[in-house]
Amino acid sequence: MFSQHINKQLSAYCHGELDEAEARRVAEHLIGCQRCRRDFEEIKLGVRFAEQLTTDSAPASMWTAIEAALQERPRTDTTRAKPARRRFEFNGRPVAAACAVLLVALAVGAFWLYTRQPNNAVQIAGSDKRTNTAQSEVKPALMKPQASAGGSAWEVARLEGSPMVGATQLDGSGRLAVGQWLETDNASRARINVANIGQVEIEPNSRVQLVETNAQAHRLSLMRGRLEATISAPPRLFMVDTPSGVAVDLGCAYTLEVDDAGRSVLHVTAGWVALELKGRESLVPAGAVCVTLPGAGPGTPYFDDASPRFRRALARLDSHNGSANDLSIILREAREYDTLTLWHLLSRVEGAERERVYERMAALVTPPQGVNREGIMRLDKGMLDLWQKDLEWAWFE
Amino acid sequence: MEQRAVASERSIDERVIEACRRGDREAFRLLFEAYKDKVYSISLYYFQGDEATARDVAQQVFLKLITKIEQFRRDAEFTTWLYRLVVNACQDERRRRRRFIFFGDGFEMSGRASEKSSQEEHYARVELAESVKVAIGELRPKLRLPILLRYIEGLSYEEMALALNCSKGTIASRLNRGHKILAGRLAHLRGTLAASGR
Repeated sequence: MFSQHINKQLSAYCHGELDEAEARRVAEHLIGCQRCRRDFEEIKLGVRFAEQLTTDSAPASMWTAIEAALQERPRTDTTRAKPARRRFEFNGRPVAAACAVLLVALAVGAFWLYTRQPNNAVQIAGSDKRTNTAQSEVKPALMKPQASAGGSAWEVARLEGSPMVGATQLDGSGRLAVGQWLETDNASRARINVANIGQVEIEPNSRVQLVETNAQAHRLSLMRGRLEATISAPPRLFMVDTPSGVAVDLGCAYTLEVDDAGRSVLHVTAGWVALELKGRESLVPAGAVCVTLPGAGPGTPYFDDASPRFRRALARLDSHNGSANDLSIILREAREYDTLTLWHLLSRVEGAERERVYERMAALVTPPQGVNREGIMRLDKGMLDLWQKDLEWAWFE
Repeated sequence: MEQRAVASERSIDERVIEACRRGDREAFRLLFEAYKDKVYSISLYYFQGDEATARDVAQQVFLKLITKIEQFRRDAEFTTWLYRLVVNACQDERRRRRRFIFFGDGFEMSGRASEKSSQEEHYARVELAESVKVAIGELRPKLRLPILLRYIEGLSYEEMALALNCSKGTIASRLNRGHKILAGRLAHLRGTLAASGR
């Protein structure tokens, strides 16, 4: 009878957003299910609190500021009515204008075709084809740029300042070939088009290399700095190497930072990312952060609104300087969706500590059918996966 | 006050939007007056009571509205488009701020919350309203936005889904989570809520 709990629909039910049949099903379920009734009371209380929210008055000066800003922008002076087509007229010379547009389009097309040829894949005006002077400094860079030897390249555009592709300053846009480094100083930023699957913005003081790009894998290496990736592709097609692990895209948007010591911080803003190293994996959903130290394996993920005490205790555990007291802090401070952290800890602690983690998780979210203490204590993969699936609703929303 | 805002919002019809598209400054003013409090309030609560940021973001929203209204497609609801601008502006500002916080440490509201909660409020309803604002400010942004769009603007799940570019199911799920967190964090004010009779 209770195989289909209705707790996910309770807010919609309170707000009258369900259709008649659904609303009736929820009402009938609530009569017989104590667990969902308890949830319903909680949701109703939340709704009543939220209803106390009032609208604040905007400052009276706002319109004046908007008017002032508008006057500073001649293009946006909207006091004059503009004919809708005006933007596309060329002072009464439509034929000449059309020809000009056609010529530009042809020129752009020809340039695009030219740059798509492997032998022409290097990039920027005048360009140096063997520019990776720093490539021997770090291990992942032990490769030569393949632009002149048939390798693929990604489009890269300057956003601010003077980013460098190899030893060549990026002026406007260019291409980043396999093996090449893109480097930004403290005043420059750049955007990379990752084949046809997304974009990566490279923030100031960053150093990133295109490692490979083909139908099976697109891979960057971030040696230091910060990037912001927005990827729309099948899982595991886009990866970013860092000195402390590999961020594997599972369909997502995220930021990834690497400091000079090689420590990485992954912050996922949409979807999932997996952090992997030597068979160990951390699954990081939207809203969660994962800090990873070089040589320590992927860190334990936590939600970005976790309490500072929780974070500090987790950082100590992850750096192997933790104590039983740190675990106590984490367990005490954990909320329902912090089961994300606890689920990862299950396989990272042992014996009595694992039992404590299990107890706390079970108190926060009842294990689903098919998951029990004995199985979790021996890290039964089937049970861990089953519990993870059951917990995902809490982690995601 | 609330009534006036509602009446003003109702006065925004197709003709006003069309006048705005033609660049009629008075029509813009009407539009601004109709929505300014709600746009400002959403920004204010999104940025956890930071009035200066809320004002900047709200101004950006209206500037964008004025300069982009020609792009507004008439087959869409104007409010959906407006709140999409609000959501984008809030998220852009948040992203911009993150850029300056390397390894982003701490949740800005936590200090503020304790400061506020330590203040002795004289009136129970004021305390309740303030506590609700603080608790909403402490929600994760993705949970905070649906709550603000629902309770400040009264958007339907479908409208929120369009504004936030996600499914109705996601909206329902985020509201569920937000309501539960609010209930948990404000449970100690249950008595005040009952007494307020609202």
